[in-house]
Amino acid sequence: MSSPLLFGKTHFLEAQIDEFLDKVSEGGIYFQRGMELLLDRGVVPETELKLDQLIQLKERANELRRAVVNTLYSEMLIPDFRGDVLRLLSHLYGLLDATKNVFQELLIEYAAAFEGLETGADVRELVAVVDQSMQAAVRGARAFFRQPEAVRDHINHIRVYESEADAITLRLKKGLFGSALPLESKLLARDALAVIDGLADRAEEISDELSILAIKRVLE
Amino acid sequence: MIASLVFLSSGLFLGWSLGANDASNVFGSAVGSRMLRFSTAAVLCSLFVILGAVTAGGAASGGLGELGAVNAIAGSFTTALAAGVTMTWMTRAGLPASTSQAVVGAVVGWNWFSGSITDLSQLSRIAFAWVASPLLAALLAAGLHRLLVAAIRRGRPHLLSLDANLRLGLILAGMFGSYSLGANNIGNVMGVFVNASPFAELTIAGGLHLSGEQQLFLLGAIAIAVGVATYSRRVMLTVGGSLMTLSPVAALVVVLANALVLFVFSSPQLSALAVALGLPPIPLIPVSSSQAVIGAVLGIGLLQGGRGVRQIRWGVLARIASGWITTPLIAALVAFVLLFVVQNVFGQQVFRPVAYQLSPPALVRLAEERLPSERLAMDLQPVVGSVRFRAWLRRQVRLDPAQEAQVLRIAETRPLTIDARGLEALERTSLPAPYREAVAGLEGRSFLHPWQLAEALASRSPLWAPAPDAPRAEAARRAARLALVLDTFSRSPPDRSAQNRGAQNRGAGPVPPTSLRSPGAEG
Repeated sequence: MSSPLLFGKTHFLEAQIDEFLDKVSEGGIYFQRGMELLLDRGVVPETELKLDQLIQLKERANELRRAVVNTLYSEMLIPDFRGDVLRLLSHLYGLLDATKNVFQELLIEYAAAFEGLETGADVRELVAVVDQSMQAAVRGARAFFRQPEAVRDHINHIRVYESEADAITLRLKKGLFGSALPLESKLLARDALAVIDGLADRAEEISDELSILAIKRVLE
Repeated sequence: MIASLVFLSSGLFLGWSLGANDASNVFGSAVGSRMLRFSTAAVLCSLFVILGAVTAGGAASGGLGELGAVNAIAGSFTTALAAGVTMTWMTRAGLPASTSQAVVGAVVGWNWFSGSITDLSQLSRIAFAWVASPLLAALLAAGLHRLLVAAIRRGRPHLLSLDANLRLGLILAGMFGSYSLGANNIGNVMGVFVNASPFAELTIAGGLHLSGEQQLFLLGAIAIAVGVATYSRRVMLTVGGSLMTLSPVAALVVVLANALVLFVFSSPQLSALAVALGLPPIPLIPVSSSQAVIGAVLGIGLLQGGRGVRQIRWGVLARIASGWITTPLIAALVAFVLLFVVQNVFGQQVFRPVAYQLSPPALVRLAEERLPSERLAMDLQPVVGSVRFRAWLRRQVRLDPAQEAQVLRIAETRPLTIDARGLEALERTSLPAPYREAVAGLEGRSFLHPWQLAEALASRSPLWAPAPDAPRAEAARRAARLALVLDTFSRSPPDRSAQNRGAQNRGAGPVPPTSLRSPGAEG
């Protein structure tokens, strides 16, 4: 039953969801900044600071997600919407978690992958496109809550960025295997590129989810 | 009183059934989607059904009364039972049926059995309302859906705010729907008992007046509330779930459109507004809430264009339309058979014959009202039954339906004498002292026609005088007080043998009718 506090609680929840989306968006920015530091200066304290920031972001986002889901299930939302919101938040949290994991792997396992690589600018371009796909996913999620008709545009952006990421990765791999680098460096760099590109794929998964959710929400 | 309550049982069963089934049309989506606890919905629904029935139930019920005023409580019991039996049988047979249509059919069956006139113009107005209610619901739903969607697109509320507003909207619409359901559908439950009501006017501490009709409606509304509390949960969860597949916005629109349709067909103010705007008056009669819901869903479906049209199951609609004809026919037949059984097997009086006579004062009165009295012969013997009297009248002169109704009202007889014994009996009734004093002032006088008594009382005291601009409730109270006086002073009730003779032979004789109005004579 709705209580007199219904609308106050609604606004509080809206603020929590907005903060959660901010955290996912910030995750993309920290990832991009961290990658630039990694490519420019290698694993230095500033680069590790970005990983710490990503870890803190993920923890806060997790807290927010749990709080939102608990409140939604205990006293808010029509069941159809409740399930949709939970799924969307879970996907976005998964993207943020993957971003942190990818950056962590790059620092620990693939720190040497970009050493001696002549195409550093192309890697930066790939990271920028991946970040764009993440930002488009966040914008799409915001639109789902306020303007479902606009979700379609954001979905399209995510798909374009994902294709661009694939194209840049392919170009980088061709350049990589055409170079005189030792095979183990080529394989290490290939795997590093694959995990970065994987983030755009995850953003595309969110676009698929969003397209279904938006259809359900579009008012006919 | 206990016997009266036993006779009311069939109406109470209809009320229970209405509560069990139709509460889902107003609170089904809120409960089905679990946004409102069933107990809260049941309390809100019951409260507003009672409020609607007691404060605004008279209009739609009166519309049904214009079709036929069942004037003996056993007849009311049997008529309501016939509607209930028809509904149960048709539902079991998988045929679409609505209580409104079954009750109308049963009333026509009573008219047929008792030899009372079935007002065809009122019947056509009722049939119009049956067809119009789902169509109106479709139009309202389509319009409301468009408006609501445009407002949401313009306001761009957050999903959570939209959800909160929809939830609040569903609760408010459910309360309005419950009020309208009580106001409109109480006629189905208690309409046939109004003219044979066992309740007298009641004044509760604090000066709250409850007429006999209002007490009857309160009882019927409580029966609806019991139906809501005991059996509507399962229906709400089923219907609510299916409604929610539309979308929460559409579910809200459906509940709102249904509530508005029920309100339109039970609001005298709206009807008066339509007349003031030069439109025909809105027929105030009970309509089917389930069919209004189907109409509303259809209206939203049609907004989707070709895709929506393809999704409509036209066969189901055709079956509903066929129910508009088959349900009343079956109910009329069942009512006739049951009335015959109750009268002849159980020996109960299922109608009180109404006698008509063109006495000298009646002829004078007809002349005063500019009716062609000179073409009417004086009738020395009363004619029992409005159909027989109308046939006799038509042999004398051709009148238009309104004039015929006027002649029937003036010719209706109810012989009585204001005597000491009757005045003593009147002391024991709930009639207030100033009204009784006016009656006592007529001691020793005899009256043949009810209008004669009404005029004599009005001349004795302004309390009895009709006020042309009095509200409907006041006019109803005045009519109920006059009916109480008539009942008290009428000669002793006719013995059963005379009654049966009247029923079987329709023979002439001074049988005192109970009803102030001749059945079907008005409208």
